[in-house]
Amino acid sequence: MDAITRRRLLQLGGAALGGAGALALTGCSGSGAGTSTGGAGDPAKASITVWSWQGPAAQLKALIPEFNKAYPGIQVTVQDIGNPAIWDKITTGLAAGGSGLADVLHIGVDYLPGYVEKFPNGLADLRPLGAEKYRDAFAQGMWQTVAPKGRVNALPWEANSAGFYYRADLFEQAGVDAEGLQTWDETIEAGRKVKEKTGKYLLGIDKPASQPDAANFFQMLLQLQGAFYFNHEGEITLDSPEALTAMTLIKRMNDAGLVSDLSGGWSALESSIKSGTAAVLPWPTWFGGIIEGLVPEEAGKWKVRLPPAVRRGGATTATVNSTHLAVAGSSKHQAAAWSFVEFALTRPASQVAIYRGKGIAPALIAAYDDPVFHEPSAFFGGQKKGEIFLQALKTPSPAFNYSADYARALKAVTDAQTKVLLKGADPAAVLREAADLLGSQTGRKVVR
Amino acid sequence: VSVSDSAVASRVPAAKAARTAPRRRPAPYLFVLPAVLLFTAFKLYPIGRSFVLSLHRTVDGAEVFAGAANYRRLLGDPLFWTALGNSATILAVQVPLMLALATGLAVALNSRLLRGRGLFRLGFFLPMVTGLVAYGIVFSVLLNQRYGLVNWLLESIGGPEIPWLTDPLWARVSLGLALTWHYTGYNAMILLARLQTVPAELYDAAAVDGAGAWRRFRHVTLPGLRPALLLTLVLSTIGTLQIFDEPYVLTGGGPDNATLTIGMYLYQNAFKYFDFGYASAIAYVLAVLIALLGLLQFRVLGDSS
Repeated sequence: MDAITRRRLLQLGGAALGGAGALALTGCSGSGAGTSTGGAGDPAKASITVWSWQGPAAQLKALIPEFNKAYPGIQVTVQDIGNPAIWDKITTGLAAGGSGLADVLHIGVDYLPGYVEKFPNGLADLRPLGAEKYRDAFAQGMWQTVAPKGRVNALPWEANSAGFYYRADLFEQAGVDAEGLQTWDETIEAGRKVKEKTGKYLLGIDKPASQPDAANFFQMLLQLQGAFYFNHEGEITLDSPEALTAMTLIKRMNDAGLVSDLSGGWSALESSIKSGTAAVLPWPTWFGGIIEGLVPEEAGKWKVRLPPAVRRGGATTATVNSTHLAVAGSSKHQAAAWSFVEFALTRPASQVAIYRGKGIAPALIAAYDDPVFHEPSAFFGGQKKGEIFLQALKTPSPAFNYSADYARALKAVTDAQTKVLLKGADPAAVLREAADLLGSQTGRKVVR
Repeated sequence: VSVSDSAVASRVPAAKAARTAPRRRPAPYLFVLPAVLLFTAFKLYPIGRSFVLSLHRTVDGAEVFAGAANYRRLLGDPLFWTALGNSATILAVQVPLMLALATGLAVALNSRLLRGRGLFRLGFFLPMVTGLVAYGIVFSVLLNQRYGLVNWLLESIGGPEIPWLTDPLWARVSLGLALTWHYTGYNAMILLARLQTVPAELYDAAAVDGAGAWRRFRHVTLPGLRPALLLTLVLSTIGTLQIFDEPYVLTGGGPDNATLTIGMYLYQNAFKYFDFGYASAIAYVLAVLIALLGLLQFRVLGDSS
């Protein structure tokens, strides 16, 4: 081997190492364990930052003047990080031991358990700040979500129940009584009639799973049966009979040509609603405000109800998700941050203002005494939308164990759903495969 | 030749070293110090740290030594093999096509018959300057099945509506298209630079010997391009195995993992699933693969001297 080849080899080695270096950036993190560098700070005088996204961020911003009347020394900056960008940003912040994180973080139920488990002390324990007095202030099941093991990781903000928004005019044209639909089987039959008479799809799904939330509808069908991807012991229940029922319903809808494709994320969903592609939007509480904002000219054509049951006589309510405000463990102004969280989430007037602004439904039960939740809605044909969802929120609903591996579970589920919707795969086979994959990835037991 | 060369080479530095060694001047070391420090902090440390991480698992927020468990898990992970298969497909299909295209382009851009060569060269090189995410988003808008310009054009000439990003096969084609658009001009420029060093006399001599255009290309241009072709091939191989931005923006790795690359899978494990140990193991396997492939390419295509 002469000098030239040796030099080449060195260059090559350098290139390969450079490659490893670029990719190793992911690893320059440590686990962030036990790096709680923050502290309570001065409760009366501080400058704090809040991370949230779009609508909720705007609503938090609107609360600041009122907040400053009570806490004139605390300066609040709300940043709209955007969703889903906020999850990557929080993850990298936590992985870096909290450096660069905001003081207050808006976190969804899908991410909260993962953050808590993978980054202990990444979020401040709110007990020393006085969180426990609000134990019974929120909708049933919420406290278990934010404080599963005693430690209070966050306070609940919005609580979303499964919903069923539909175009009443289309169902009327098809001669179907949408209010009377008892089960999803009946709904599929109704969907056939709607398609026949009006040419509209029953509903839409992001078939190639271009977004991680493509399995929203599947998950709701599962939750209506009180089932989820994990049981409370953290074991995998991804191919339970309930999951098979849910996936089979989706396959039947798709095979009957009742499912439009919503691939392309939020903008595709918006344009689909604007062009009136489907008769039903099986989305939770918060989505009513979105529809109203997108197609205000269709006021009176839309109605809302709780979803039909999966089995006759089964549940029509489920709290499908929630979001929360947490205080970063690295925050040097935890007391001031807590004051803002407390002001926004436990004061009924704050939550009422937020609901008026963006239709975000509070987990705070006391907020529902306000008349705004009991007014007829002009957009939804004079229905009292707030009361419909309040009824759902008050119905006992099991708390679901999202676990620290929810993101992996979701990926396995959306891949399974894509196989069913795009390749006509057998639901039982793909669910079994997904459960096994999840088991090998996480080391969790699959219960069958 | 080589014997006398090495004899000279060994004699001269030895004499120099004898003269300068006792003085130990600090200046050269001071000059390289910033680069060495930066390299240590931002390359060596992460490389070493991620190797350590790859031997650990995170349990309840604490790092637990796991030996080779992450690597063993990798071997049995169907998604890793899917990702590897996808990267290999791109390597086997897109890279040769792109390099052939780049060679043709380089020859065309080198032609004295072409007017406005500077403009064309600029035009083909410009995609390379475009930000990865920006062009990914532009492609995803263009290729949107219902509202995209590409399908609109296809339909206006009576073509079918193609599910560019929503069908597993077409998603791969779209990814290949985007990559080709972005990197062909870059490779063509490297080849062009090399082409300009091929002496014109060789072509003249070949022409005098009666060689046609094809034989001149085959026997003069291609051998002349060989080192540059090797360079572009190795660079493209490294780049292909590390592809992340394009599938991340265009398809998210879908549908059904059809465009999941190793880079994407690594990212998902680190930043979606917080599994930094496993992600580091993927990074290391990837680095070894790249080194092996590069070595192979040098062996097969490099100078035989």
